[in-house]
Amino acid sequence: MGNKSRPIYAPFKLDVTGRAHLIVTNLAEPPLELAEGFDDITVWTVKTIGRGIPAPAAPGLRPFRAVAELLPQLAVRLAQATVGLRLYAIGSEAFIWDAFNVAITAGLDKAEIFVHHAGPLVRRVYCTHCRTMIEDVAADITPCPACGAHLFVRDHFSRRLAAFMGVIVDAEVPGEVPAAEALTS
Amino acid sequence: MKLILAKIKVLSPSIRHFTLAPVSGTLPVAGAGAHVVLEIAGPGRVWKNAYSIISAPGAATYEIVVRRVEMSRGGSAWLHDHAQIGKVIEVQPPQNLFTPPRTARKHLLLSAGIGITPFLSYLHVPGLNYEWHHCGKAEDAAAFKALLPDAAHVTLHTGRNALNLAALLAAQKLDTHLSLCGPEAFMDFALATAEHAGWPAQKIHKESFGGATGGEPFTVHLRRSGHTINVGADQSLLDALEAAGLAPPCLCRGGACGECKLPVLAGVPAHHDHYLSATERAANDAIMICVSRAQTQELVLDF
Ligand code: FES
Repeated sequence: MGNKSRPIYAPFKLDVTGRAHLIVTNLAEPPLELAEGFDDITVWTVKTIGRGIPAPAAPGLRPFRAVAELLPQLAVRLAQATVGLRLYAIGSEAFIWDAFNVAITAGLDKAEIFVHHAGPLVRRVYCTHCRTMIEDVAADITPCPACGAHLFVRDHFSRRLAAFMGVIVDAEVPGEVPAAEALTS
Repeated sequence: MKLILAKIKVLSPSIRHFTLAPVSGTLPVAGAGAHVVLEIAGPGRVWKNAYSIISAPGAATYEIVVRRVEMSRGGSAWLHDHAQIGKVIEVQPPQNLFTPPRTARKHLLLSAGIGITPFLSYLHVPGLNYEWHHCGKAEDAAAFKALLPDAAHVTLHTGRNALNLAALLAAQKLDTHLSLCGPEAFMDFALATAEHAGWPAQKIHKESFGGATGGEPFTVHLRRSGHTINVGADQSLLDALEAAGLAPPCLCRGGACGECKLPVLAGVPAHHDHYLSATERAANDAIMICVSRAQTQELVLDF
């Protein structure tokens, strides 16, 4: 606790000062009740119904097959959008900060972007040894699939990389790796 | 520093272009958005007025454009009616509170009246990507035409409703920032329109000069220094404090920078600034003394 590099997330709510609202999530459903009284709301999800076929879209809803398809489309959409739009990113920390970085690159101000952590407790881990990104890590110790190092997943989060830092756990005594525990935050 | 009035150009009956040269040596460099405060000695008082520098950074002279204001701000009237070439004027070194915002990829510039001046200095920034809309009275059209660059992305609007501001603001891309300069009513209108279109405050940049339009006289009590000072109808609160020999903090003298904020202990201020938020204004416990006045006959300030 009290780790300064660990972002703190406010509860999700739509920003009343916005004219249009785009909600993006890496989850199948946005875990929220959308407030009534907002006119222009679009929701982008990542949802498939078997074999990578996107789920049919309801009005205002656009399902993607993968985050890797959603994020490039987000850049395209933001390049066309006009001031007044608010962006909300909901989901894993890796996803929401990737979306945040796409938005900053598109020219949004921090005040126009809201990130909200939701979904399974998994982290993207950056191997500080060989610089590999490891997705969906659920335990506090993980092997690096690229260099084989045993990494301890620190609470240190880099917004630029949208990843937690993974540091070698057995640097002192090689081979001495403590038992991994499930992440609790 | 002492500057000498080197050139006067009449642009319209109420707008003049002045060139100020150093009496000796060279001038401090003034970047895009910078202003200088001229100390103009009138009968029995000194006016301190802020003017944007429109000449290029590093130029040998400072050029300013001044509108003659009827009420108050006697300095502009003096510059129009009495200033002569060769006159030496005390000028405070330039300050810059209005540099073009760095994170903007496009600048939407919106000005009215003499609010044209800071953006004239922006034209010296190499490669600045901008769109400029200037609003003015029909009788000043010739003067503004002479000042504005002749370019497709620069538009002069004269006459009522000539500019559809709501449509303009709603059509801007997300990488655009808005910069505003003009009289109080214009600023209020533009800010309200931008807010309605969903513009976040972080993308709006503003400067306003000549906001002190005078008004009913009132009395101010300064709790800490024990002074009681009368603020005349043609004087700002800041002017009155300075005339009494005090040196309250100030920079822009136009209600934009926030420097001159003083706590209000009693009485109700009449807010004319663009610095305090709506909530802060409603609290009535602070005042920007360069432009704001009093709704009550007396005001007690913590100064
Ligand atoms: S001096 Fe800048 S707000 Fe008053």
